[in-house]
Parts: sequence; structure tokens; C-alpha cells
Amino acid sequence: MKIVDATLFALQIPFVEAFAHSVRSRSSSDSIVVRLQADDGTVGYGEAVARPYVTGETVASCLEFMERALWPAVQATDYAPWAGQDAIAWLGSLALPSDGDNSTTGVVAWNAARCGFELALVDCLLKSAGVSLGELLPPRHPVTYSGVITASSVEGAVKHAKRFKQFGLPHMKVKITGEADRERLAAIRAAVGPEMSLRVDGNGAYSVEDAIATCEALAEFHIDSAEQMIPRGDPQELATVQGATAIPQMADESLITRADAEALIEAKACRGFNLRLSKCGGLGPTLAIAELAQAAGIQMQVGCQVGETAILSAAGRHLAAYLPEISFCEGSYGSLLLREDLSRRPIHFGHQGLAKPLKGPGLGVEIQDDLLEKYAQQVISLSAKAV
Amino acid sequence: MAQAIRPLIETQYANQVQAFERSPWFQRLEQGQASPQEYDAFVFNLCQTHLKSPQILAFLYAVAPPEAAPQIKHNLLEELGLDEAAICHPDLLYLLATAAGFDRDRQTNLAEAAQAQIRQLCTDPLLFGTMQELGLSVLLEVTCFEWMLSRLASRIGKALAAHRGLPPESLTWFHHHSEVDIRHAEEGLDSVEQYLAYYEIEAEDLETILDITFRENIFIKRYFADLPALAETAL
Repeated sequence: MKIVDATLFALQIPFVEAFAHSVRSRSSSDSIVVRLQADDGTVGYGEAVARPYVTGETVASCLEFMERALWPAVQATDYAPWAGQDAIAWLGSLALPSDGDNSTTGVVAWNAARCGFELALVDCLLKSAGVSLGELLPPRHPVTYSGVITASSVEGAVKHAKRFKQFGLPHMKVKITGEADRERLAAIRAAVGPEMSLRVDGNGAYSVEDAIATCEALAEFHIDSAEQMIPRGDPQELATVQGATAIPQMADESLITRADAEALIEAKACRGFNLRLSKCGGLGPTLAIAELAQAAGIQMQVGCQVGETAILSAAGRHLAAYLPEISFCEGSYGSLLLREDLSRRPIHFGHQGLAKPLKGPGLGVEIQDDLLEKYAQQVISLSAKAV
Repeated sequence: MAQAIRPLIETQYANQVQAFERSPWFQRLEQGQASPQEYDAFVFNLCQTHLKSPQILAFLYAVAPPEAAPQIKHNLLEELGLDEAAICHPDLLYLLATAAGFDRDRQTNLAEAAQAQIRQLCTDPLLFGTMQELGLSVLLEVTCFEWMLSRLASRIGKALAAHRGLPPESLTWFHHHSEVDIRHAEEGLDSVEQYLAYYEIEAEDLETILDITFRENIFIKRYFADLPALAETAL
């Protein structure tokens, strides 16, 4: 099967309310949606979320890489439909590059761009065969989502925490910045009670010493994991933090590539990996990292991108339901965060954070093209350009 | 606790109405700066929002405590034109839509869009754990609309007459709501208090449900959801 048409939509969907962490605050999503059309007319959708402070990709560079490297590779390939083979092998056969000349761009890997194309291909090829991604990655358990609390004022954070408690969510992640961390966690713990699982995310805002001190200071609030307290760098530094605190450390920005995963495991740097599809390059690379984690006894969290639409959320749902054991899951916030989500049926979870597996063909969500047009800041049609 | 509840809710309602009134979309409509498409989109969204009011009131009647039920039932019959005034409110909205030039297809779209909102309410995963919480959230939103309409419906009607050229007879819905919703707004607050007492909802839970219900401006969300792009085009 050949892919004959590609359209890239650089979106800006306003948030219902702003979301902040230690690196930046945003009030709208900046996803790139990839729409591919096969020669039989089937259309598939993928999503990339470029984060300069994670993979080094920006929206502009992501679009440029998609046009320069990914679209020619896709256009030149004759794809075999999935015929029941191993998921990682089939996803690997999609042959999408995520490396390039990164020496001057500061890009760690073109993983968001790759993810956008990979998900669109998976959606398109599986839809064409009438197969759900759930057949490729059979769900093993229900998915329970966590709430994530933005790094706003302590008062605002408590409000968010109370909302999530009202919704019956069993787990919450709190963004921390180094300012009023103890006050924040004390107020949240007091608001949600002792049963709620709390974890923190520093987004790399701390030095090794400050990370250790912060973990010590927050331990009394029964924190189940501390995510990416220090910046991406030498895994040995993260190992130093892990060695000095009882709170399990979770790698996020430190975990972008398979090589990162191997180095983190080798250094015994952490007890958890945050797997995010757009960060890790899509389903294939993420599943490969998950295999390494499982073999090494590393806990896995399925994370998300702030402002992701139903496309990435659907793929994340399939991944989370398929992995044998995950400690926490984030995402599927849909219209809880976005003014409008792209899918016809809502993707967001219900009470207690519970969500059903998606059973429809492909990723299992029906994307509304009129909303892509409505929120597009830039539309790039690649169909007319020759390889 | 009872004394603190009413001011708490009224403050939320007042904040919602003030943000709506001061929003650039409302100001453009009232000051005659909006394009004809913006006025028509507003009329469409307003009709879509209120066409299914009887169904929403029927839901509230079903979950109402005994003290509040007669009043909500009266409002429901009033909406349907089955009270002594015999004015069917959805019919008034179709009168407005017809005056705005909505042809049969557009009115069919309108009816389908209103029904789609009911369908969505039923198919969206429920975030609240019990019907009492959902019922309270819906009751708060409905009474907040009554609060707003009692204050702004007349101004909106005048703006549509002056800047969209709609004839007075097509604007009865606004005149009617500016009068009856003064009473409805007060009665609505009574109903909320009765609801809270009947279901033994604690003040802290009320505060959280208020926060959840009004985290967005409900009027901007319902009336202007698709207007920003139009507004930019017209500028």
C-alpha cells in the first residue's frame, strides 16, 4: 500500500485554563497533526508535540524535518498491512528515520516528528485493514488516569487537587518548581487526605543537592515518585539523587532514546521510566524501551504531553492498557483541558480516572477535519511535491 | 452554613456575568461592531443553548428535593407553554431564528445541534461519582443563566434590534426572560439551598462543585464558542 497524500496541521487549540510547570506556562496546545491518505483512500491521523526543552524540536523544525526527511521516506515505501506479526517487529518495519544531522540543531532526536508520522501510518494501515490497534496491542487491564496539578499558586494547586478528589482520581502528580514546595505539598496533602497517591515532577529545575534536599523535605507527605528533579545529563548524577533518597526517582527528559534507557539502567539511575510517545518517537521505540525497563525491573509510567489531542491520547491509552504493569498513567484530559478536542466522541476518562479500551479501527478515534481547519495556524500540503 | 451559601453562590454568578458582559465578544455585539455573521452565529448558539431547556428542567425536576420540586415543575411547564401564560419558549427561539433569516435547513441544523448537546451530556464519561453532584452542577449552571438573563437579556434584545435589525416581535424571548428570570433567579437560589440541605452536601463540596462548574465562563463557552475566528476576520 502506498501513501499518496500528506497534510500537516500546526494547531493552536486554546486551553480552558493555563497550565504551568517549572520550564514554561502555556495557554493553548501546539500539536502538529499529520494526516496521511493511502492509495485506497483510507485516511490516518498522527500527532507530534514538539518540545524544545525535551527533544530539542520546535514546531517549525519539526515541520521542516517532516517535510524533508519523513515524507520522502513514507512516500517511497510500499507498506505491508499488519498480518498478525509481533507488534514491535511490524512497527519497526515502518522504517521511519528519527535521526538526522543534529550537530547544529541541538536536537537530541526527531522523536516528536517521527511519532506524528508513525501514528498516522499505524492509524491509516490498520484502518485500511479494518483492524484496531487493540488487536496489535491487546489490552491486559483497565487504565486508571492520574490528575496533574499545574505549578500555579498554592491556592490554585489546592483547588485543582480538590477537583481531582471530587472526580475520585486515586493518583495525582504535582508540578514543583523549587518555590514553596513544602507548603504546596502540605496544603495538597491536607486537602486530599492520606489515601491519595501523590508524586512530584520537577521538570529538571533542581541541582543534585537541591533535589536530594527537596525529596527529604517532601518525604513526610508520602510521595510515591519524584520525576526528573535534575536536568537531563549524566545518568550518574541521577543515580546520586536516587542513592540519597528513599523516594523513587523517575526519568523523563533524561529518557528520550533507547540509548538513554540503556545508560540509565546501567547506572541504576532511577526506579521509574516515564514513557511518552511523542518524546520517545512513537509506539515502536516506546515499546522497545518498555521491554528494556521490564527486563531491568524498572517501574513504568505512561505519560502524556500537556495539550495533546485525542490522537496522542488514544495511542497512549492503547499503550497503557497493553503494557503488563504500569505504576501510573497520564493523559486523556481532552476537553478537560482543551476548549475543543479533535475526536467526535470524547476521549477523556470518567469518575475515578477510569477509561475503557478503544475498539474502533486504527487508533480508535474519529477525527473531525473541520476542527483541524478551525484551529490550524499553518497547513502544509505535501501531496503535490515530488520525491 | 446556610447564611454563607447564598453570598458564595451569588459571588460566583456575579463574576460569571461580569466577565461575560466585559468580554470583547459581548461588547462587539452590544456596540454594533460585530459582523452580520457574528450576530447570526450568536443567535444560533443562543437558540442551541436554550432550545432544550425543558429537557434540562425535566432532569432537574427528577432529582429535585420535595421542597424545590414544585417550583422547578412550574418552570418546566412555563418553558413548555403549559402554564397560565401559555408561551412556549422553544417556539420563541424559532421565531428569533426565522427573523434572523434561518431557512428550513438551518433550523433543522439548529434542532440537531441542540439535540447533539443532550446526546453528549448522556454519552460523555461522567466525572462525578453520584447523580447528586451532577444534579447540583446542572442546577448551578441553569440558575446562573437565569441570573444573567435577568440582568442582560433586555440589553441583548435591544442590541439585536438596533444592530441586526430584528423586529420587536422576534425578540419576545429576551423580553420575557428579562422579566421572568428576575423571579427565577431568586427562586433558583432557593432551590440550590434546598438541594444542598436535602442531599446533605457539605460547604467544602459545594465550593469544589462551584469551582468545577464555573472554571470556564459558561456564557462565553455556550454563546461564543465559535466566534473568535469570525471576530478576527471582521476586525
